[in-house]
Amino acid sequence: MVAPAVLVVATLRLWPLLLGVNYSFTGDGARDGVPVGLDNYAELFDDPLFRTALENVGLLVLLLPVAVAVPGMLATFIFLRVPGHRLFRSVYFFPAVLSPVIVGAIFNLLLAFDGPLNSLLEKAGIGAVDWLGDPDVAMFTVVGVHVWATFGMALVVFLAGFSTLDTTLLDAARVDGASLARVIRHVIVPGLSRTIQFVFVTTMIGMLTSMFGLLYVMTSGGPEGSTYLPEYYIWIQQGQMNRPALASAASTVLFLIMLVVGLAQIGLLRRAGREN
Amino acid sequence: MKRPALWSVVLAAGLLSGCGSAGSGSSSGTADGTLVVWDWKSGEETAASYIEQAKADFAAQHPDVKVEFVAQPFDQYYTLLGTAIQAGKGPDVMLFNGGGQIRDRADALLPLDEYVTGDRQRLAGWEAFTAKGKTYAAPVTLQGHPLYYNKALYEEAGLDPDRPATTWREFTDDCEAITEATDASCLSLGNKEGFGIQFFLSGLGPGVLTPREYDAWIAGDRDWNSPRVRRIFELWKETGDTGLNNEGANSTALFNDAFALFQSGKAAHVVGLMSDVGHWKDFGEFLDPDDIGVMQAPRAEAGAEPVLPYDGGIGYAVAKWTKKPALAADLVRSLTSKDALQAFYADAGAVVSDTTVDVSDGGAALSAITSEIGAGRPALHVALSTETLDLMGRLSQQILSGSTGVDEALEQLADSDRKG
Repeated sequence: MVAPAVLVVATLRLWPLLLGVNYSFTGDGARDGVPVGLDNYAELFDDPLFRTALENVGLLVLLLPVAVAVPGMLATFIFLRVPGHRLFRSVYFFPAVLSPVIVGAIFNLLLAFDGPLNSLLEKAGIGAVDWLGDPDVAMFTVVGVHVWATFGMALVVFLAGFSTLDTTLLDAARVDGASLARVIRHVIVPGLSRTIQFVFVTTMIGMLTSMFGLLYVMTSGGPEGSTYLPEYYIWIQQGQMNRPALASAASTVLFLIMLVVGLAQIGLLRRAGREN
Repeated sequence: MKRPALWSVVLAAGLLSGCGSAGSGSSSGTADGTLVVWDWKSGEETAASYIEQAKADFAAQHPDVKVEFVAQPFDQYYTLLGTAIQAGKGPDVMLFNGGGQIRDRADALLPLDEYVTGDRQRLAGWEAFTAKGKTYAAPVTLQGHPLYYNKALYEEAGLDPDRPATTWREFTDDCEAITEATDASCLSLGNKEGFGIQFFLSGLGPGVLTPREYDAWIAGDRDWNSPRVRRIFELWKETGDTGLNNEGANSTALFNDAFALFQSGKAAHVVGLMSDVGHWKDFGEFLDPDDIGVMQAPRAEAGAEPVLPYDGGIGYAVAKWTKKPALAADLVRSLTSKDALQAFYADAGAVVSDTTVDVSDGGAALSAITSEIGAGRPALHVALSTETLDLMGRLSQQILSGSTGVDEALEQLADSDRKG
């Protein structure tokens, strides 16, 4: 009974993966098909562009708490029934159904140097910001748009988590005169610890693997290569530079990064399971 | 415990040996009676009559052969093609941009020299499809980088629209007059994808390099340390520093935003194209065609002799793995037949590779371009490898933002160009 499943996994998953890894040890161009050992990996880590892509992975991890806090806070307000909470629930979720290409195109218009946001900023006397053309700003802009576009899913998960929250604790806190901040800190956050961990891990994976569309449309990896992520690097090397073996090496590195993230996910969930 | 360890060692050794490659697969060729063509043009409305004309020409010679065009999205075209090349299977005939894109993939293509001798004299632009002395595609269009200007803005600024600047000094003076009298910027620059520097180098470089240095550059003998090459990149920096460019050039896409700035009258000049997009006909949809001027690159250094920079634009090639090389080459010849190219010009406004095609109804801007084709030279950026162009795009963004100096950028470009 297990054999068909093993066969499917081995032929459709493991075998292509091994072929890709194997290919990363061959050369490109004139050395096509020639074993080159670790040359591609040496070139990869010698390439400042790939190092930038890896640094940006680190930046995404650092920005992760923001990406989790935004849907967490908004879900809290919806749960606490702020006026219009039903409308907010729909509005917050709406971007999740949009394609990254559409989202990117919309924000390209909004964030253009001569676009409406900068017009507003200039009217307010703040001055225009080159949201997509300043290498110190562009990555934060793209991450911000990604968070805007995807937090709806995390919000739904949070709302599901809230439905399991013990409301008697909330009532008790209110009766005791606890402020909103104290209710969030001492009742909601501990009560949702498993949900928060789950959202943390899934958001992290989403940020590492689902930003290609936005990057492609919004910055094309620029300016100055400042918004490169490993995915985008792989695509450029394979498609534009005609370096498929180097792209395979980069894919293998990305796979290893994702493996670490996956193992961290398993570890977190196991720990959460034990705590509960 | 020993067995998994042993298997791990065997697996690792196998992987590290890197035996085999996707690129070493065998070719499959095509089904009998059908030729498959990949391109990104056949799905466009403006190319419909061109494709029909080419099909008719081919059908007249080979009525039993079916031709199937598969229009691919341009932004993924070379990725898809790269996968086909690695697999050793794919279309019989495929469209390429001239320059690095085809030269990088010449190993997968069939040399066409023996098949296209009859078209040598009729068509121009072969050099862009030539690698190591062999021709790998027949040119369909000519792609050049004329400097377009808006005559209406010149008039508004009190300048003579029929006497554009011939020196860089005059050019910056004109720009100053235009920016003072109008809301327009001097240059429309889109460098979001790093394409801006390619157009700048080819469009304005002829006003800097001597003919000898220009020819050496094209021939591959490039001196990145020469004062004149440095001058081109200093001009690039100057256009940013002195505000000649539109604001936010590094976040403006060349296609279509920078062209849109020009055709909406928000910029006085743009280094445009002459094939079938970003050209005189596109601009004429929004500007009065009589207001579209074409000028030579202003001379920034004594001894420079500005010319129209152009090469073969797009061209059809034949895959090495095709089982019907002669048939495929015949299809390429049909795709570059005079009637087909005439139709492409008529519908898309493309300056086609057949210079005998009648373009007299195209207006003043097109006449100015075509009159320079005879004296023109290949564009400077087309001679560079894809890798160097990619690096130049990023470095050009750094030069504009001030995070890299011209000397440091030239050093890196020289290194990249040396590696080829």
